Amino acid sequence: MQLVRRGQAPAFELIYERHSQAAFSLAYRMAGSRGVAEDVVQEAFLNIWRSGARYERSRGSVRTWLLGIVHHRAIDALRRSFVHEKRRASDEGLEETLETGERTDAEAARHEEAAAVRSALQGLPPEQSQVIELAYFGGFTHTEIAEMLETPVGTVKGRMRLGLEKMRHALGQGEVSLG
Amino acid sequence: MSTPGPDHAEWADAVGAYLLGALNSEEHAGFEAHLAHCPLCSRDVAELRVAADALPVSVPLVKLPEALKDRIMSVVRSEAELLSAAGSRADVPAEPPARAAAGRGRRSLAAWFMRPAVAFACALLLLAGGGLAGVLLSGGEDTRTVVAETAAPGADVRLVIGEDGATLVARDMPAPPRGRIYQVWLQRPGSDPVPTAALWSVRSDGTAEVAVPGSLDGVEAVLVTDEPQGGSEAPTKPPVITASPA
Repeated sequence: MQLVRRGQAPAFELIYERHSQAAFSLAYRMAGSRGVAEDVVQEAFLNIWRSGARYERSRGSVRTWLLGIVHHRAIDALRRSFVHEKRRASDEGLEETLETGERTDAEAARHEEAAAVRSALQGLPPEQSQVIELAYFGGFTHTEIAEMLETPVGTVKGRMRLGLEKMRHALGQGEVSLG
Repeated sequence: MSTPGPDHAEWADAVGAYLLGALNSEEHAGFEAHLAHCPLCSRDVAELRVAADALPVSVPLVKLPEALKDRIMSVVRSEAELLSAAGSRADVPAEPPARAAAGRGRRSLAAWFMRPAVAFACALLLLAGGGLAGVLLSGGEDTRTVVAETAAPGADVRLVIGEDGATLVARDMPAPPRGRIYQVWLQRPGSDPVPTAALWSVRSDGTAEVAVPGSLDGVEAVLVTDEPQGGSEAPTKPPVITASPA
C-alpha cells in the first residue's frame, strides 16, 4: 500500500489483481446487476487509488479494508438509485457463478472460507440471519427492515447484534482466516 | 471494568446495525462520535467486527468483466503520470483550483496544470462530480445548462454551470478508444486550447460527470478530445465534445 500511496500504478494493479474478483462478487451480490456492480467497483478502486494513505494496518488486512469500501459504495448506490427494486426483478444470477473447474488454488481456499462463513450464517436462527442478510447484502437500514418485517426497531437491532455474536463464536471455533 | 460513555444508553443497541451498515448517514455519524467516548461500545465493535468482516467472504465468486480493469487502469496510469511529472511536490496541499487560476491568470495556467497537487485536486473533483451533478441538475437557482455538440452518435452531453464551477454531464457516451482517455480543454478566442487535468472515462452505462477545472471567464468553448493516457499538451484529434458556455 505504501507504493500505491506514492502513486505507483503497477503496485495498484497488483492490488486490483488480488482483490478485484472478491470486490466485484460482493458488489454483484448486493446490486444484482453487472452494470451497477462494475460502477461500484470502479468507484471503489479509484477511491482507493486516490486515498491509499488512509489504509491503516491496525484496522485489518488490505482485503478487509478494501471490501469494506466496496460495501459502503454499494450501499450508497443501492440507497441512491433504487436498485433494490431492480435487484429483486433481476434475471441475472447463478449462471454467472464460476464453475468448480475454473478455480485456482487461491480461489479454492477462498471457497472453503466461504463455506465456513455461510455455515455460520445459516446456523443462526432464521430471524437473525434474515436481518443480517437484509442489512449487509440488501443495504436496507434498520428502520426499513423493521417496517418490512413489521417488527419493532429495537427488536431488529437486537437480532443484528445477537446474530453477529453467534457468528463470531462459530467462526472462532472454526478458526476461519479472513486475511 | 470500563465506564460507559455519557450517551451510552442512547447508542448501546446500535452496535450490530453500525457494523452491518444499517444506520442511516446521520445515525452513522452520531454513533461514531459516541464511539470516541465510549470504551464499552468500542470494545463491542472491536469484538463483533470479525463477524461483520467475514460476511463478504460468503459471497459466491462471479466472473470479472475484462473491460473493467482496462477502464480503471487507464485512469490510474494517467494520474500516475501526472503525479510522476509532479515530483516531490505531489504531497503539497492543493489550493482550490479556481483560486489558483484566478490568482495567476492565463499565462500561468499551463504551469498550474502541471502542479501535482492541483492536478490531484482536479482528479478528486472528478470523483466528486457525480454528487455535484445531481445537485446542479436538480434545478438550483444559480445554475444553467448548455447542450453540447458531440461527434459521438446518440450521446447526450450537457455543460452545467453553477456558482462553484462547471460540470460536463454525459449520457450514452462511448468509452474512449482503447489505450486513450478523454481530456477537457478550455478554448478562449484567438488562442490555442489550454489543457486541463480533467482526464476521464465513462461508466459501463455510458454516463459520466466531469468537473471542469478552473474558471470559465473568457472561455468560448469547453472541448473534449480523446488523447493518449496521461493527456496531451495540445489536442491530437478533433474534439468529440464542444460546449459553448456563453
